[in-house]
Parts: sequence; structure tokens; C-alpha cells
Amino acid sequence: MSTRSITPDLSAFEVPMDVWSEPYWHTAAEHRLVLPRCGACNTFRWPAGPFCPECRSQEVEWVAPGQGRIYSFTILPVAGPDKDAPPQVRIPALVTFEGAPGVRLVSALIDAAPEEVKIDALVEMDWLPAANATVPVFRLQNPPPV
Amino acid sequence: MKNQASIVGVGATPYYFRGTSAPQTVFELIDHAVLAAVADAGLKLSDIDGLAFFAGGFDPSMIMQQIGLDNLTFSHCVSGYGSGMAGMLDLAAMGVDSGRAKNIVCIGASQNVGKRYGQALGMLGLTPDGVFHAIAGLGGPGQAMALMVRRHMHRYGTRREAFGEIVMASRIAASTREGAIRRKPITLDDYMASPMLADPLCRLDFCLETDGALAFVVSSDERAADMPHPPVHITGAAHVGVRDWGRAFFWLNQSEDTFTTAGAGAVAKRLYELTGVGPQDIDVAMIYDHFSPMVLMQLEDYGFCGAGEGGPFVESGAIRLDGSLPINPHGGHLSEGYIVGMTHVREAVEQMRGTATNQIKGAKRALVTGGPAPVLMSGAILSNER
Repeated sequence: MSTRSITPDLSAFEVPMDVWSEPYWHTAAEHRLVLPRCGACNTFRWPAGPFCPECRSQEVEWVAPGQGRIYSFTILPVAGPDKDAPPQVRIPALVTFEGAPGVRLVSALIDAAPEEVKIDALVEMDWLPAANATVPVFRLQNPPPV
Repeated sequence: MKNQASIVGVGATPYYFRGTSAPQTVFELIDHAVLAAVADAGLKLSDIDGLAFFAGGFDPSMIMQQIGLDNLTFSHCVSGYGSGMAGMLDLAAMGVDSGRAKNIVCIGASQNVGKRYGQALGMLGLTPDGVFHAIAGLGGPGQAMALMVRRHMHRYGTRREAFGEIVMASRIAASTREGAIRRKPITLDDYMASPMLADPLCRLDFCLETDGALAFVVSSDERAADMPHPPVHITGAAHVGVRDWGRAFFWLNQSEDTFTTAGAGAVAKRLYELTGVGPQDIDVAMIYDHFSPMVLMQLEDYGFCGAGEGGPFVESGAIRLDGSLPINPHGGHLSEGYIVGMTHVREAVEQMRGTATNQIKGAKRALVTGGPAPVLMSGAILSNER
């Protein structure tokens, strides 16, 4: 039996926000992912920031980015709750989106068997509660039966 | 402006395994290194009129008070962290060439007391831009760079055997180096048995965390003529930022062609243009090896092989002491010690003086690279010929 990647406990985690990232977190609270696109030249940028680095416009549209796909990932050992507990892993994944060319989002890939995680695998979003926000994380889409 | 700056003195503390330099403070370590470098140059402290730093630098007023340094007309710090290390030599050369100061001491130090460089992402604290790494679980530079390394392997078929070769070559070099921290050679089996810390990076791919300080005196060729050691000329040093590399592993949004590099392509290009030297002219290379795959990726960036060819290049044995391009004959950050790149400059000076532990016969030109990290990135070519 394989060990599936952990779901981090973020319940006490305070997400720092600023005026440029707040729309991302407000939408995440409704379990929707959006990414910032320049309102003038349509270039996506990430992270959110005060200017479009291509055209210097400050206009932003927040856009649902569509299907996510693993661009790269790593597998980190995680200390178990005690020394006799089986080893656990955490999987940070860097994900591209079909509808947001040029940007990538990094987050935890949860509940995945490490041997099933591949570059180009499709992912779907899931949502975890944090102290002051809802945090987007990834799951493998239609993982094969274990 | 005439290019006339040379390294004329080197000083270093011992290299201490992380945290073991206490109760000395980091300033005491720096003081030792500066005094040793000034003595090595055959100078008096009163001859020193400039300081140069990188990685945020160290308070010059503290150094002046502690060792009794009376007058400075130059004290500056280049941008970048380990990325700016070789840019410090550019800064010192500018100071000497422009006449701002006569004898400038370059200073670098690290001390892991109450903190660890390997947890640098956590040390930065949480920001609206940096929170995503924390949510993902990327706590250190090696964990974030693992994402770049895996993509390189995916794109080019690079094998872990190549990373293992970099570690093995480093350990062989360190085995004869007094003062190196890890001196026992390892086999490929040892490498493959090393626990994964950030798959595909295993523990042996991570460099040491070391306490210590180093200092280099930079002066002019003319003044060097009266000093005890032959000058090691700063043939050229480049300090370059390109947006597509940007915040490096803190960002992870580089274009595909940049994501699978060590971000040094632009600095290599400028360095070769400035000096009229190409990769074929480099006799020995001190490549910033905070993580072993970053050596392979820098070799591609600096043109020693093509993009994606770093794996086969390294696996051919080219980077060993007897190879076509000896890398880090002192053992580097992986085996000798990690003081944010400074040890690489020391080795380059020893190679150019002909006094290195693992001397590369007839070496005339050495490359030293700053670390793959947020811009500006840097590199330098040192030579015993002008």
C-alpha cells in the first residue's frame, strides 16, 4: 500500500494579502480559481502586482484559467506524528493552466500516490480552510483506482 | 578606464561545520579573514582604504572599530545574494580602476548560529507574493529548485547518475584538501542510497552549511609589483539581471527555455564579450555548487556544452581533476564548505598562483560563478596573464 501525499493543516495559517492579491483570495473563498490578466494588453502575470510588466497598465481582469496540468513537482519527506508512524510525503506541484498562458501556480498536491504523479498529469482544484482565507490546492484528476 | 585590478591577498578562517564557530561572532570571523588577507598582500592595515561586499554586506563601522581600520574612501555592496558574489569583484575592480580607493578588501562570511541558510525561504517571512511557496510546502531553496531540476530531467533525459558524478568528483577533490569538511570519497551506490530530501534531489545533492569568513585584497597591477605574490588579474567580472530569470526559484514563472537553466546564460554572454574569452579558453572552473544539478545547468549556460547536454558532458568524466574541464578542485560547496561562493574565489586565486592543493597544471584562466538565485547574477574570469 502506498502512502498518499498529506493534506496540510492550514487552519491556523494566516494568509498575508495586499490590495493586488485580495481578489484572488476573495474568489478562492467561493471555491473558484482566478488569475490576473492585464486589462489593456491581455498578458497574464503572476504573482499579482501593481503593473503589467509588458505594458505598464494597472488595469486587471481576474479570469478563470481552465484546465490545470502538472508542469513539475517535488516529493518531500514529512516527519510523522511520532517516530513509529509510517513516513509521509508532501508534494508541492507547479501547475500550468490551459487558459492562462505564461503563468504557473505552485501549491500542494494532496491525496496523491507519489508513483501516480507525473509531469503533464491533469489536476483539479480543491480547497482548504486557513485562519483568514480559503486556500486552493490540487488533486490529480480521475486518479486510477488504488 | 584601464582594466588594471588584481587580487593580491587572500585570507580565510577555518571552515566550521554549521553553528560550531560560536562563541566567535560573525564580525570576529571577518576580522580574522581581513587581517590574514592584508598580511598575505604584504600590506599594513593603514594601506586599506576600501571595502566591497555582496549578499547585503556587513556593517563597515563595526569592522573599522574592531580591527582599527582608520580611513575608508570606498565601501559598497553589490545587489544579489550568492548570485552577486562574483559581482563583488566587479565592484572592487571599479573602485580600483576609477581611483576611488587604492586597496579594497572584498568580504564575505556566513554563520549559521540561530539560523540556517538551508531554510532561507522560511527566513524571508510570509509576504503576499511569497505565501504560495509556504502553502505548497517549499521551505528551502533546494526544495524549490527541485522543480526546475525535474523539468530539466523531463525535457532532456538528464539522469541522477550525472548529479551523482558531480558529488563524486567533488568528494575526490576534497579528499586531499586540508580543512575540507567532507573528505571521504563516495560511490555511485552511496549516492543512490542517500535519502531523498526533495525528489529528485537527495541529501548528497545539497551543499554544506558552513561558518567562516574570507577576504580578498584587490589592488592595481602597478602596486602589485611590490607585493609578495604574483597578482591574479580580474580579467573581467559581469553582474547581469534579466527579467525572465528574475526572482528565480522564488518565482517559478520563467519561460520554458529559462526554467530549465541555471539562469546564467546572460551573464556568461556578457562576461565572454567583456573579456574576449570563450569557454574553450577556461582551464579550470569554480562553479557555484549549492545544489549539484545547478553545476550541470551552469555548464550549459556557460557554453561548455549545449543546452540539455550537461548530463552526458558530466557523465563523460570531463569535470574530474584529470578531465577536459576540471571543476571545483577544492571540493566546492558540496564537500569543502559553503561560505556563499567565497571559497571559489580563494581556489581560483590559488590555482592562478600555482599553489592549489589540487593544482591544474599550466592553468592560466579560471572561471568563478555566482550562485543561481534571484538577479543580478554574476561571474568572473581571473587570470595569471594580463
